[in-house]
Amino acid sequence: MFCIVAFVVLGILGIFSASNRQLAREALDCVLRRVTLRPCNTGFDEKMKAKILGFVIVRSEGGARFLNRFFEPIAWVFFVMLMASSIWSVRGLYLFYTSGSCNGLNQAGFCVFDPQGSSNQVSGLLQTCKVNPPKQSDLTLKGVDLSGFPVLNQDATDKIVFIGCYHCDYTRATYPLVRKLVNKYKVSLTFQNYPVKEPTDYMTRVGLCAYQQDQAKYWKMNDTFFATEKANLDNAAWLQSTLAGLGFDTVKLNLCVAAPQTEETAKKQMAEMIKTKFFGTPTVFINGTALVGPKPYRVYAILLRGLFYWLR
Amino acid sequence: MDINKIRQDFPILQEGQGRKKITYFDNACQSLRPRQVLEAINQYYLKSSACSGRSMHQLAAEVTRECDQARTAIAKFLNAARKEEVVFTRNTTEGINLVANSLGLQKDDVVLISDKEHNSNLLPWQRMAKKVGIVVKIVPSRADNTFDLDAFEKRLDKQVRLVSLGWTSNLDGVTIPAAEVIKKAHQNGSLVMLDAAQTAPHRKINVKGLDADFVAFSGHKMLGPSGMGVLYGKYQLLEKLEPFLVGGETVVSSTYDSCEFLPPPEKFEAGLQDYAGMMGMGAAVKYLTEVGFDAIEKQELLLNETITAEIKDFPRLKLLGPADPRLRGGIVSFYIEGVDSHRIALMLDQMATIMVRSGQHCVHSWFNAHQIKGSVRVSLYFYNTLEEAALFASSLKKIGKVL
Repeated sequence: MFCIVAFVVLGILGIFSASNRQLAREALDCVLRRVTLRPCNTGFDEKMKAKILGFVIVRSEGGARFLNRFFEPIAWVFFVMLMASSIWSVRGLYLFYTSGSCNGLNQAGFCVFDPQGSSNQVSGLLQTCKVNPPKQSDLTLKGVDLSGFPVLNQDATDKIVFIGCYHCDYTRATYPLVRKLVNKYKVSLTFQNYPVKEPTDYMTRVGLCAYQQDQAKYWKMNDTFFATEKANLDNAAWLQSTLAGLGFDTVKLNLCVAAPQTEETAKKQMAEMIKTKFFGTPTVFINGTALVGPKPYRVYAILLRGLFYWLR
Repeated sequence: MDINKIRQDFPILQEGQGRKKITYFDNACQSLRPRQVLEAINQYYLKSSACSGRSMHQLAAEVTRECDQARTAIAKFLNAARKEEVVFTRNTTEGINLVANSLGLQKDDVVLISDKEHNSNLLPWQRMAKKVGIVVKIVPSRADNTFDLDAFEKRLDKQVRLVSLGWTSNLDGVTIPAAEVIKKAHQNGSLVMLDAAQTAPHRKINVKGLDADFVAFSGHKMLGPSGMGVLYGKYQLLEKLEPFLVGGETVVSSTYDSCEFLPPPEKFEAGLQDYAGMMGMGAAVKYLTEVGFDAIEKQELLLNETITAEIKDFPRLKLLGPADPRLRGGIVSFYIEGVDSHRIALMLDQMATIMVRSGQHCVHSWFNAHQIKGSVRVSLYFYNTLEEAALFASSLKKIGKVL
């Protein structure tokens, strides 16, 4: 058992040190002999045991005596720990690949491949404190009325519901990826602006009116809003000229935005969004599964087309 | 002998340069080198890097002179009759192989060796047995591993062409009674070759006084450079020997189908020689002579007595060779029952940077015959100190408690 543990440990140390690399080779030879049911007669176990005992004995004779007596059981303990940590590592790697986090979808614990937890960052809702903080498992589309929301490729089988915020960095990072998915796999996309960060709630009304006026132009408008500098979104003149440039009838549009009925509809839609129990943007539902925060492209693609999406 | 002053001559014994202070007890394998030897080697490459003998220019003349001086110094060191009796080889092994292959041994000639020869003085004869049909006979040692002169005499018959013995054993440090062996062998009409690899570094050698026929030893065990050895041979015997290796620098002249060899030692020194090694060897011999073999033997005995007294009563510890340290020169070889010797050696190294040899020390035949897996060999030299001996003993004591 010692050979296996030593091979893994020395193999890692060997990346940085030539002497450890040589020892790792010896350990590998020993491992191969053990695996093929041959005796490990290279003396590697003996050599390493002696080195370890020599190191320990000058610090604690009792410790060295204990180690010498229970070397094999201790090696077994380390072997089991190695196996457990290896399985855990493989699991973490798999979860990172499929969900963007070593700990699983939307789980914010430390992940060595994403130490800053960037794929779980959200722009949180400005809500009062709650006794029970929101949980990923509470997120749902059940009971949410999505009629009247801007939707693209409505008849597609696979459905994405995207709750985002024009002004939020994480949404702005996610939106192009989702658009790429929609273009590539022709899935249905429902988008709703939820202004969590800045007082840009009028943008929701702009979107509502734009969609009512021309659905195709609405998506062009959305793409433009996410592509432009954030500062432009606060600039009424830029907004007007952009809408005009996209071919909207800005007079009608402005009247629509100012209409109390529009305000009412926007509030109603935002209330529907709240029913999903989302706690920050971006929150993307892919066929009902919620993804909170800006995930890597592969995570969305895997949910739509499976683990080997890139083969399809 | 001022040990502290002597130790200053050995750069590797100084602390620093990224290494802890070492306790070097592997001198039977290879000794350390003093600054004087290193400087002599360097001097060749720095000041006179040229061919000896064959060129006429000033550098060549300088090298020729230096090498000749080294040969003369070694001849004097051995008390040889003349400097031409000193043949430069790569090591003891080459010297023994030279004699084995050049002596003109015939089928059924007997070569007598002991039961604890280094592979260097076993394999060449085994090979000759296969090649020409000589008979290799073994002289068993006494129970305490000392040389059994009676057993030797019993095997000494008229078929014995050569007696080839390790003068001092690298296994346990036991030295054979060379003078008596040579006397009895010569009375029988047999030649004698002594493997002096473990003798030349530690004892005064007097080949003329002993009437030895051949003596082989290495530079690297006696402060000299690696890859440099010496074969001493009586001149009249060397004259009769066929060259072992032939080529450049071994002949007076050659035609397309014949050649005329130079006299000894040149006819045995084929090809470009290790001139730096020769100069280094000369410096080593000079250094040892200045220290003096009386002082060397005294210091080694003191160390051996100290270590033996400290460890002899350790549980499960078995000493190889006689109990009396006076009979073991600078070697303390032992094993602890049930403990791998390599483990002890590695632990000593890891614990206190004490460097010893473990295993079968190229005397596999003896270990196999005695069914012993191996031993730890502490081999001492005059630059070792009592403090080092004490450190070794205390470290081994700790290991004994743990294992």
